[in-house]
Amino acid sequence: MGVFFGYVLASIPYGCAFSLVAVGLVLTYRATGVFNFAFAAEAYAATVVYSELISHGVQRGWAAAIVVCVIAPVFGALLDFGLFSRIAPGNRTAKTIMALGLTVILPQIVETAVPSNPPVPPAPFFSTSFIPVWRIGGDPVFGSAICEVAGTILVLIGLVLLLRTRRFGLPIRAAVESPKLLELSGVDARWVLRFAWMISTALAAVAGVLYQVGSGATVDPQNYDLLLVVSIAAAALAGLRNLPIAALGGVLLGLAEGLVQGYVPSSSIWYPALVPSLPFLFLLVLLIFHPTLRHLEDTIDPMASIEPPPPVPAVAMRPPIVDRTIRRMRWPFLGVVVFGVILFVPADWTEALTEGAALSIVFLSITLLTGLAGQLSLAQWMFAGIGAFTTAQLAENRHWPILLAALAGALVAGVAGLVAALPALRLRGLPVALLTLCLALLGDDLLFPTSWVSNGTSGVPVPRPSSIFGIDFSSVDSEGFFVLTVVVMIAVAGIVHLLLRGTTGRALTAVHASPIGASSSGVQIRRMTILVFMLSASIAGLGGAFYAMNQQTVSQDSFVYYFGPIYLVVVVTIGATTVEGAITAGMAFALINNALMNVPQSVGGTQLHSTALTVILLSLGAFTYAKHPEGIVEYAKRRLAKTVFRAVEHNDHPLVSAEDSA
Amino acid sequence: MKRLLEVRDVSRHFGGNAAVDHVSLDVFDGEAVGLIGSNGAGKTTLFRMIAGELALSGGRIEFDATSLPHRPDQRARLGIARTFQIVQLFGGLSVLDHLLVALQAHEGRQGPMRDVLWKGSSTPEEEQRCLETLRLCGLSDVADAPATALGLGERRAVELARALVVRPRLLLADEPSSGLDAHEAARLARVIALARRETGLAVLLVEHDLHMVEAIAERVIAMDAGRVIAQGTFDAVLHDESVIASWLGRSA
Repeated sequence: MGVFFGYVLASIPYGCAFSLVAVGLVLTYRATGVFNFAFAAEAYAATVVYSELISHGVQRGWAAAIVVCVIAPVFGALLDFGLFSRIAPGNRTAKTIMALGLTVILPQIVETAVPSNPPVPPAPFFSTSFIPVWRIGGDPVFGSAICEVAGTILVLIGLVLLLRTRRFGLPIRAAVESPKLLELSGVDARWVLRFAWMISTALAAVAGVLYQVGSGATVDPQNYDLLLVVSIAAAALAGLRNLPIAALGGVLLGLAEGLVQGYVPSSSIWYPALVPSLPFLFLLVLLIFHPTLRHLEDTIDPMASIEPPPPVPAVAMRPPIVDRTIRRMRWPFLGVVVFGVILFVPADWTEALTEGAALSIVFLSITLLTGLAGQLSLAQWMFAGIGAFTTAQLAENRHWPILLAALAGALVAGVAGLVAALPALRLRGLPVALLTLCLALLGDDLLFPTSWVSNGTSGVPVPRPSSIFGIDFSSVDSEGFFVLTVVVMIAVAGIVHLLLRGTTGRALTAVHASPIGASSSGVQIRRMTILVFMLSASIAGLGGAFYAMNQQTVSQDSFVYYFGPIYLVVVVTIGATTVEGAITAGMAFALINNALMNVPQSVGGTQLHSTALTVILLSLGAFTYAKHPEGIVEYAKRRLAKTVFRAVEHNDHPLVSAEDSA
Repeated sequence: MKRLLEVRDVSRHFGGNAAVDHVSLDVFDGEAVGLIGSNGAGKTTLFRMIAGELALSGGRIEFDATSLPHRPDQRARLGIARTFQIVQLFGGLSVLDHLLVALQAHEGRQGPMRDVLWKGSSTPEEEQRCLETLRLCGLSDVADAPATALGLGERRAVELARALVVRPRLLLADEPSSGLDAHEAARLARVIALARRETGLAVLLVEHDLHMVEAIAERVIAMDAGRVIAQGTFDAVLHDESVIASWLGRSA
C-alpha cells in the first residue's frame, strides 16, 4: 500500500499537466476546429521564457509566471490574427497544416534564439522545488508537485466558470458548429475565436511551466513529446468533445504511466519497450475503436458550402502552345541539367543534389497520399526509415546486391504501409494524422533503436552501387550515384504522374471530395485506400534507401520522427498535388541546407544550425497555405499561365476571367 | 413483369425508435415507383438501407432474386445507381470526369496497376458513352467545366448523368427536385423519363414535389411513421383516407 501510494503521489502532478494540455486541445478543437499540434511547442516556448526570465534577474518564480501568463494569451491572439483567422472555416486540412507548421517552426526558433537548454527552473511559489514540503504517510510531497496540483485545480475551476458565463462561454460553444452562423446572429465570431485561442495558449503556457518544474529536467523540446502524446490520448478519450473527461483522462493516464514505470523493473526487457509505448498504444486503440473519433470529420459547418470553389489547376489554363513546348523541351532540359551537374558542379553540391533527389522520391509518396488521397500522413519519414534499415541490413549482413536490397526495402515499407492502411480504413482526416503520428513515434522510440535494426548507436554502413548494367561508378562515385538517383526519381515521378492523371487520380479525388458519392458510384474505397497507402509507403521506403546510400550509413538518428511533420508541411506548402511540387520541395530542402552550411555558424553569439534554419525558412511557407492551399509552385504556374494568356490576347478566356473575379 | 427489388419486413431502429417498421415493397423491372410521405415518415431511412448506406435492424432486401451485398460500391456494380438529396459531387473534377469515374468503376477498369501499365486514359468508347449521357442530360456544353462551379440545377443533372452513364437497372432518386424551380424540376423529370424509355430503367423516387411524382411514377407508395400506409396509382393514393389523415391530420 505504501509503495503504491508513493507511486500515485508521484504521478498525480504529471497527470495534472497532461490534464491541462488535454483540456486545451479539446477546447481549441471544439471552439476553432484546429487540432493544435503546436500545443507542446507553445508549452515549451513558454517554459523557456519562464526559465530565461528567472535566469535574467526576475527573482521570484511567481513574478515570472505572471509575466508568462500575460505574454501567452497575447501570443495566442497573434496566432489567430496572423494565421488561423485567415483560413476558411471549412478547410480543416489547412488548419492542421498550419498547426503542424507551427509545431515545427516554434521549437526551432526558440532553440536558435536560446541555443543551450535552460537550467531547471524553480516552481513559481517555492524557491526549492525538490525539498519535501510535507510528508503523507512517509512519502515526500515536493513544492513543485503542490504547484502542479493546485495550479491545475485553480485553472480548471476558472475555466469552468468562464465557459458557463453567457458573455464568453455561450458564444464559444456556438462558434463550434459554425462561426458564420454565429456572425449572422450578430456576434463578432472573430473575437470569440481569438478569445478561445488566448485561453488555450495560456493553458499551454501554464501546463508547460508546471510540467517542467515537476520533471526536474533541463528545458528540452524533446521532453514535450510525451506531454503531447499523453495529452492527445486523454483528449481522444474524451472524443475531442468532453472537457471534464479530457481533464480526468489526463490525470488517469499520468497515474497509469507512473504505476507502470514504478512496478515494471527498469532491468526488465519489457521496461524499454512498454514504458515509452504505453501512451501510443492507448491512443492507437482509441483511434481505432472510439466511435466519436471515427465520425469526427462527419460534422460539417452548415455554412461551409458558401466558400468559393478551389482555383482552377494551372494545367487547365495553359495555352496549347505552352503544353507542346513543355513536352518537346523537358527531356533536353533535363539532359542539360544532369550533364551540367556532372561537368561543372563541385562534389559537395553534387552530394546535396543527390540528397535532394532522394528526398524528392520520399516527397513523391506525400504527393500520392496527401495530394491525391487527401490523407495527412505523418509517418512517411518512418516508412523511409524502414526502407533504409532493411536495405542496409540486407546489404551488410546478407550481402545482397544493394539495388536488390533497396527494392526489398521498398517492399517491406509497403507491408508497413498496409499496417497503417488497415486502421485508416475506418478513419479519415485528423484521426489519420494522429494515427500516423503514433506510428511514427512508435518507430522512433521502439523500432529504430533496437539492435537488430540499427546495431544500437553504432548504425549500419550502406554501400553505394559500384556498377549497374556494366556501367562502372567506382571512378566517378558521386556523379555516378547522382545520375542513378535522378533516374530513379524520374521513374518514380513518372509513376506518380500516371497515377495522378489516370483512373486512380480521378477515383481518389472523388473519394476525397465525397466518400458516399464515390462509393455509390462503384468506387472501391477500401481497395483504393489500401493500395495507395502501400504504394506510397513503398515509394517512401525506396527514397529512404537512396537517402541512406547517399549518407553511406544509417543510424537510429537518421530517421527521427519529427522530420515527418516537417517534410509534410514543406511538401504541402510547396505543392502536394503535382510531381513538380515534390521535386521542387526535395531539391529546395537539400540545396538550401547545403547553402546554409556555408554561412557563419555564429552570429552575435547565437549558434546557427543549418538544418534548423532550413526548416524555419521552408516552414514559413506554411503561412502561405491559408491563401494558396494548392501550393506555391502551382500558384506560380497559374500566375504564369495567366500572364501568357494575356500576352497572346486571350483575356476573354473563361479561366482567366474567373481568376480575375476570384 | 419480373420483380427487380424486393424489400421484405425491413425495419430500422435508432435507439428505441423505429424509423422504419416492418416495411415491404417491390419494384418491378422497368417500373417507376414514387415513395411519398411527410418528414420523418421513414422514406430516406428506407432509401439509405436499399442503397447500402445503413444496416438493417431486421428483414431482408433482394435485388434480382439474390441478397444484396453490404457495401454501396458493391450494390452500385450490380446496377443500382443513386442520386442524393444533398448533391454529392467531386470537387476538383470536371463534369466529364464525374461520368468517367462511375463508368470505369462499374466496368472494373480502375486502379493503380492499370495506370502504371499506361492503361489509365479513357478509351474512345468510354468517352463516347459519357458524351451521349451528357447530351441526354443537357450537359454537353459544360463537359469540361468543374462540376462544383455549376448552378444547382446543372449540378443535379451532373449527379443524374453520373448515375445514368453506367446504364443501371434501378435508379434510386432521393428528392431530385430539392432546391430546384418548377422549370428545372420539370426538365429533370423529362430526362429521367427519356432515360427510362431508352434503357428500360426502373426508378424508385423519394420526392415531396407531387408534380414530379405524377410525371415520373406509375405507382406510388405512401409512408407514415415508418410504415407503408397506402400504395397504388397516383390518384388512388392521394385520395386514400389514411394518406389524407396522415398529411392533413383529419379524415377526408
